[in-house]
This record gives sequence, structure tokens and C-alpha cells, in this order.
Amino acid sequence: MDNVIVKKLYDAVIEGEEEIAVEAAQESIDAGLNPVEVIKTSIQGAMDEIGAQFEDGEAFLPELMLAGEAATEAMDILLAKIKEDGGESTEVGTVILGVMSGDHHDIGKNLVKAILSANGFKIIDMGIDVGVKAFIETAQREKADIIACSTLITTSLPYQKELIQTLEAMGIREKYSVILGGGPVTSQWTKMISADGYANTASECVSLCTQLMERSEKGGEGEPIIIGALT
Amino acid sequence: MQQKPDLIEILRRSREGEYCSPRDWDLKRIPQGVKKMLKKYDLQKSVDKENPVNTDLELADEFFKAGYELALELGMFNEARDRIIRISEDELKSTLKLAPSEVELGFGADKRVLKSRTPSDPTPMLFGSSLGITVSEDKWPLLTEGIARQLEVDLLEGGSLCTINGLDALPNDPSETLLCYEQGRMHRQIRKKAGREGMPGIGNISAVTEFGQFCYGTKGNFYNTDLSLILYPSELKINNQTLHKVVHTLAMDGLIFAGSPGMIGGMPGTPEGAIISSIAASLLQYAVLFATVGGGELYDIRYLSNVNREGLWALSATHQALSRNTHLCTHGIANQVSGPGTRELMYETLVGVSVIAASGTAFSTGPRSAGGKFNDYLSPLDCRWCAEVSHAASGMSLESVNEMAKKFLPEYEDKIKTPNIGKPVEEVWDLQNFRPLPEAEKVYDEVRAVAEDFGLPL
Repeated sequence: MDNVIVKKLYDAVIEGEEEIAVEAAQESIDAGLNPVEVIKTSIQGAMDEIGAQFEDGEAFLPELMLAGEAATEAMDILLAKIKEDGGESTEVGTVILGVMSGDHHDIGKNLVKAILSANGFKIIDMGIDVGVKAFIETAQREKADIIACSTLITTSLPYQKELIQTLEAMGIREKYSVILGGGPVTSQWTKMISADGYANTASECVSLCTQLMERSEKGGEGEPIIIGALT
Repeated sequence: MQQKPDLIEILRRSREGEYCSPRDWDLKRIPQGVKKMLKKYDLQKSVDKENPVNTDLELADEFFKAGYELALELGMFNEARDRIIRISEDELKSTLKLAPSEVELGFGADKRVLKSRTPSDPTPMLFGSSLGITVSEDKWPLLTEGIARQLEVDLLEGGSLCTINGLDALPNDPSETLLCYEQGRMHRQIRKKAGREGMPGIGNISAVTEFGQFCYGTKGNFYNTDLSLILYPSELKINNQTLHKVVHTLAMDGLIFAGSPGMIGGMPGTPEGAIISSIAASLLQYAVLFATVGGGELYDIRYLSNVNREGLWALSATHQALSRNTHLCTHGIANQVSGPGTRELMYETLVGVSVIAASGTAFSTGPRSAGGKFNDYLSPLDCRWCAEVSHAASGMSLESVNEMAKKFLPEYEDKIKTPNIGKPVEEVWDLQNFRPLPEAEKVYDEVRAVAEDFGLPL
């Protein structure tokens, strides 16, 4: 591996420098580097580093989001190269991400977006105040694997239940894993509404989504995967 | 000459102000604006973790200057239209001058007078209970009455309801409107039943959207001498729901209680940055949202709390800055994470509420027991403890409160990330007889005695 290019990309992601990250990704292709290795070393390595800095109070949400954006842009170039070479896509899965109807808090959602993107998930960010119908229509259109819905407001929680009930009523529950996030979500609630999983932090959400993509059970079939919940 | 912009002008600016994309607002304007002020006023790295309460009042004044300038530079963002509502210096000065320093809340013998305070001011900081912890429909009336019966609690808020006659109440849905009308009606009845008919209330905690807020000030519902709670998505960012609630409350001749916390680790970054953004948001609430009470909330997104060292320091500096440089009736919250019946919650309250009270805040609400995360994890006993601390710590010196924080932080700080969530209300409180259960009362008595031994004048 060309350490100069790898380091350039790594640093560009950490610094949230989108243009430099794109440039470095292209340089890595031009230099004949293995794109899978570049993603692992430069992009995921950088996101792990900035995630650790966030936990330690040395980096903050804007840095994390900018790093996520730089990582996503660089990933797009590297993934296209993998596809062009006939290799298997390293895109792990497609996640529909949004904040439930009535809720306008997007900090947690943005964190999850940044970290999942950098870990190879294709993210469709629906933003805030998203209704049940919009979640489902987008999941169908994008052929999603996972619907990730969060809320910080306790009174928006029932919309998570309604989302799952509507998927069941439409006969398409098994097509999607539904995962929950947000302050008032508990393991008890996750089980009660038959969601497929819950993670307490953005980094734990990567593990949750990866496990869901790897398991054989379809949406709504297996025991929910709970990571980091208090109870 | 009065320069404060009127409602029409604010609504106009919310539509026609400078365009800014949400991404630019979040990732450029706020972080860059905050960094600029931190540098200009040399405030980087001023948090002292060894001393969780700021005692340097000149430093607090520098934070105020930085927050004031940030308010003028940034303005408030309306995410419904991606427009910036900017306020000029003359308008801000006029707004702050016109803001009340004293407000009567409630009526009759149960009335309370909310007063602007300064650090170590012996005027007791008023306390309202609880925060929006969800409570089951069958327990809500007796639990809320239990809170109203705690005479130390000055204002009644009560927990949130999620169902109405068993039906999930959904935001932006007619069920939300119905729930909030019903809750407001019961809220009024409960105050009367508790023998405190004129006790000021805060409503409506279950109103996520403007539909839920329409109960405020209407016949048989929340009085317009109660506070109309208007929360908005994040510091320096509002939306049309926020403005609808403002319009309705003003039409009811009511009292606006606005707020949204500055986030340590969020867009403003460091604790010092969060202090500045919190001050800026506080000041702008009075101009943009016509607040009577507002501002000064702040917490750390890594812990969803502020009773950690950095959170406490930031709370203290924010409230010292606001209370020394304005006559606003400010509000602050100690965001606990431990739950009912635990020693940790008692200590988190003791430290967190004391810091706010001694820093000059006019009014506080709480507790946020178990981080506000679990249904029914709310006890009137904890509400009483919060209010007792609020009143007792008000005259304390910042140095004493700093010593108190240093002494009692070790009782809970290593558990903030994995808190003891305690027990639901029925395991700590006798709902029918309005009294604590023995085990919870024992914990309360023990920690109360420790606080008295330390010198808290309970």
C-alpha cells in the first residue's frame, strides 16, 4: 500500500476535507491500490479515530458529521471502482434513516448517519418529522434492508409501533429489519413492539446493523438484538 | 424609543430573513461563529474540572459578552423555511430592557412571584416539578396530585401522558389535541383537589406540536397565569410549531416559558462553546419568542446529562453570566440520570440544583429521574427534594457550592454512563396515601442529613 495516499485520505476524512478525500480516493485508484483495503485502512480507520475523539471530548458533532460526509464521498469513488472491476460490492446494506413524525431533533440521527456511512452502509436520510407512510414508501423504492427510526420525544414513540404495524398490515414486514433509536427508547419497548433491534450509541448501531445483515432471520422473525440498553 | 420587534416583524423575518441551508447553519455558521467568539474573548480551555463550579465572576462576564455578540452575529434559524431571524443590537438591547424582572405566577394565596436573581442571592430560586417523564394514564392523576401536595414545589408541571383512554396519543394527530385538552382540565382539578387551586402550572408538557398547545389559556384548562411551555428543536433553531405556540400564547395573554438546551459536544463543540451558544439562545428567546421566562439549559450529549464536572461548570458559568448581566427571569435544569429511590439521584440533585441556585438562576424544573427515559420512574419525594435544595442553596456562596460539588460528585460520577435507574413510582411512593414508602424515605432521610451536616440550610 502507498502509505502517502493512504495517510492523505485518512487525514482528509479526520479533518472533514471532502475535496481532498475525493482527490485521495482517486489517487489511490490511479496508483492501483486495492480499494477494499483503502476503505478499511483509511476511511473506516479514520472514522474509528474520530469516533474515539468524540467519546473523549476532543471532537464534536460538526467534526463527526464533516468526517462522515468526506468518508461517504470517498467511498462512492472506491465502491464504483470495486463494481467496475467486477468485484463484490462492499456496500453492506441500505438503511432508511429518519426521525419520527412530530420530532425535530436530529443530532442523534446525524451521528448515526455519519458512522454508518463510513462503515459501508448506503444511507437514505429522510430527515426529521417523517411520517410512517413516507418511511415505508422510501424503503420500498430504495429496496432497503433496514428502516432506522429514532425519536427523542416520548410521545412520538407510538409512531414506531405504528410503522411496524403498518408493515405487518401491508404484508411486507419480513422485507425490512426495523431498528429503533433515541432517548426514550428502551429494550422493553423494542421487544414490546416487535422491532428487530436497538442500539444505545451511534457506534453500537454499526454493530447492530452488521449483525442484522448477517443473520438469517427476516424482519420481525428473530429475537430483537439489543446493544447497550440500560435494561 | 422602543426598538423591540413586534410579532408581525418576527413572522416576516421568519419567512423573508437571509436564506441559509440547514447544513451551513449546523456545520458552518454555529461552529465557526462560536470558535470566533471563543478566540476573541480568550475563553478556550477555561473549564476547570477540578473545581466544578466557576467562582471567577469576571470570567462569567466575558462569557456573557461573547454570547451577546454571538446572538447578534447569528440570530435564530427557522428550519421551516431555512431563514435566519436576525436581531439588531438596538432591538436586543431594547428587548432585554423591556423584559420583566418580576412576574406573578398563579393566583390568590398560592401565587408565586418569580424574581430575577444574582449569584448567591438569598431570594429562593423557584422550583417546578416534574419534567416530561412519561406516566401511565392510570397513575397520572394521583402521582400529579402527590407532586402538588409537596408544599416546597412552587409550580406544577407533572409528567407526560402518552395515551388517552387507552389510545396512543400521537403528535400532529387529533389524539394529541384531545389528550392535551383532557390533561389540562385534569391539571386544574388536581391543583384544586390538593388544596392549591392558585398554584402556578406549566402546560402542556405533552404538547409536542402546536395542536397540543391550544389547550393553554382556554376555558377550563391551563390558566393564562400558568407558564406556556414552548420548547424548540435545538439552541438557536426554531420552526413553525414553535411560532404557532408563541402566537397562541400571546393571543391568550399568557406567559411564554421557552427553552432548548445548548449541547456540549454538539454544534458549539466544547463546554465553553456550549456556554456561549446557550447564552446567545437565551437572549434571543426574549426577542424572537417573546419569552417571559427562558434560557440557560445546557447539557452534555455524551451523557445526556449535566451533573458531570464539565456540565456543572458550564451550567454555573452560563447562569452567572446571564444573572449578572441582565435582569431576566432565567431557567435552568439539572439533568439527573439516576432513578427514584437511589442515593445517586439524591446526590445528583443536591449537586446539580445547588449549582444552578447559587449561580443566580430564577427558576428551575425537575427532576429528570432515570434520565427521563423510563415510564413511571418519577416520585413526588424526589420532586420535594429538588425544591428543598433549590430554596436552601439559593443564598450559598459559589465557593461553598464548589466545595459541596467536589465532596459529593464521587457519590455518583463514575456511574453517569451506566446509571442506577432505581424503581418505578409504585415501589417508592404510596400513591393512594401520598407518602413515600419506607425504603425510599430512609434513603431520603440519610442523604438529607448528610447535606445538612455539610451546611446546606434545609
